[in-house]
Amino acid sequence: MKFKIKFADQIVGLFIIVALVFFVVIVVLIGANQRWFAKDYRFVTSFPSATGVAPGTSIIMKGFTIGKMDKLTLNDDNSVDALFHIYDTYYDKVREYSILELTVSPIGLGSQLLFHPGRSETRLAEGTFIPTADSIDGKALIEQELVEIPPKDDTITRLLANVNPLLENTNKTIVTVNRTLTEVNRALAGQSSGPLGSIVGDTSAITADARERVGGILDQVSSLLSELETISANLAETTDSIRDPTGLVTKLLDPSGSIKTFLDDDDALYDKVMSIVGELDKSMSSLQGIVSGLNREMPKIAGLLNETRTAIQQAQDVLEGVKNNPLIRGGITERVEQQPLNQAMREGSFE
Amino acid sequence: MIARLGHSARLKGSSLLYGLGFFYNVLKETGRFFRRSQVGYKVLILQILFTGYEALAINAVMAIAIGAAINVIGQSLLPQFGQSQLMYSILIIVITRELGPLLTAFVITARSGTAIATQLGTMVVNHEIEAYIAVGLNPISYLVVPRFIGVVVSMLVLTVYFNIFGLMGSFIVVQMISPTPIGEYLGTLMSMLTVGDVVSGLTKALVFGVVVSVVATYQGFSVNRSSTEIPVAGIKAVGQSFILIILTDVLVTLVQYA
Repeated sequence: MKFKIKFADQIVGLFIIVALVFFVVIVVLIGANQRWFAKDYRFVTSFPSATGVAPGTSIIMKGFTIGKMDKLTLNDDNSVDALFHIYDTYYDKVREYSILELTVSPIGLGSQLLFHPGRSETRLAEGTFIPTADSIDGKALIEQELVEIPPKDDTITRLLANVNPLLENTNKTIVTVNRTLTEVNRALAGQSSGPLGSIVGDTSAITADARERVGGILDQVSSLLSELETISANLAETTDSIRDPTGLVTKLLDPSGSIKTFLDDDDALYDKVMSIVGELDKSMSSLQGIVSGLNREMPKIAGLLNETRTAIQQAQDVLEGVKNNPLIRGGITERVEQQPLNQAMREGSFE
Repeated sequence: MIARLGHSARLKGSSLLYGLGFFYNVLKETGRFFRRSQVGYKVLILQILFTGYEALAINAVMAIAIGAAINVIGQSLLPQFGQSQLMYSILIIVITRELGPLLTAFVITARSGTAIATQLGTMVVNHEIEAYIAVGLNPISYLVVPRFIGVVVSMLVLTVYFNIFGLMGSFIVVQMISPTPIGEYLGTLMSMLTVGDVVSGLTKALVFGVVVSVVATYQGFSVNRSSTEIPVAGIKAVGQSFILIILTDVLVTLVQYA
């Protein structure tokens, strides 16, 4: 029989037992590493915000993890109640006046929950409230130097510790400036009901009134300026004409000019003009008389023309009757047209 | 077309109901198995020997290789993102929660699933099942239950071994790349490893063991009379087992993470 078949029970038993032992060892190791069998001491604290802290966050003292955060709840006062535990090996560090400090890196390097033991010999009982460093109680304990706060571990941490208050102050200043600017903006937008808002409103009304008045004045001034410009242009043109040495004025005033000669004829020209005017006057009188006579005869002429038209129509009727009468048709000799003797070539037909 | 679809659906439905009934009978007979002192115990021991012990070597080699591969990849990739500490978490999740039970189930399906289906199919063709019934032995309690328990136990035990070898294989590679004391390695590993990880892996192993054994025995008994049906039963056992293993893996993972 094969060895495996012969000792199948033993082989299988060993196979299973070794696996069970491994399994148990693994579970025990997990338990030991995760402190299943150790006693933890639970305490409570409160944070203004849960930012940077979560269940499982390590509580660190001088680089050692001495406990962990268990539970965080937002209470009715909008602050965060926290339950945490301290390992039994570090329970003697939890003395009266101890505080917790949550340090959040402003440059995104994470956060740390530090534990600072109090300067007292009295151990805190399990379930005691431990204040945080930024709470009123915690600040009071720090000011009274009842807490043992070690110097920061490294240069960067120290720098960050100094930078944090600076950043907070800067942040506060920026917030104040921002609020002021917001108020000014609201006042300028007419949304503020404060004194600055009313001042801005009055100023705005005055400015609008002034703008309206100045607008009317400007229109008038503009039209005046336009007229002045026209006058100035005319003056300039007149001045140019006067200044011209070959201009009209010079010619008119020239003593040897034609006008002077023309006018200096002992009133002969004047007399001639007057006689022409007299003849014209007479002609106009005669013309006026003719026109008056025509005006008087116009009804007669109209009646005469009307009778003439009637006579022509009657003559046309008579001629048509004669033409249509069969007795005298052909009784009138047809006129023969006299052809011109010298007929031009072009007047002949081209048949 | 519609008639054919309906006929196919009806067949699948009746087959599913038959399979569920078969599974119910297996569970019922399993409950009785431990109250009886019977010859089925020897079958169980031999099944664990063939399915578990004989697969240990290939399982260990796979586990060490995968643990080493994960470590090599992680050691070269994770420091680029400044996340070297994730090495242990990845190792635990991949080895303990996922690949341990999954690869062990694949190995057992390939080795023992086909063997069980073929063996039972051969017994049906040779009318051995009828002989068992004739002498008053319930084939399920004598043939199926020892194989069912054997496969499930082997799956669980092999998964434990896979975890150990996988994590140790990673340690061997760690020694080559950056020598670390075993205490430090194990301390870090154990502080990251939770009971949830171990239980998750073992739950999957239990489910996969049930799937592989039930599918293999069901397919073995589905052979009717021809010897040509035996390899078909083996192929079906492997195919259906793989599909069901992956589906149940997804389901168990969803249940655990939901």
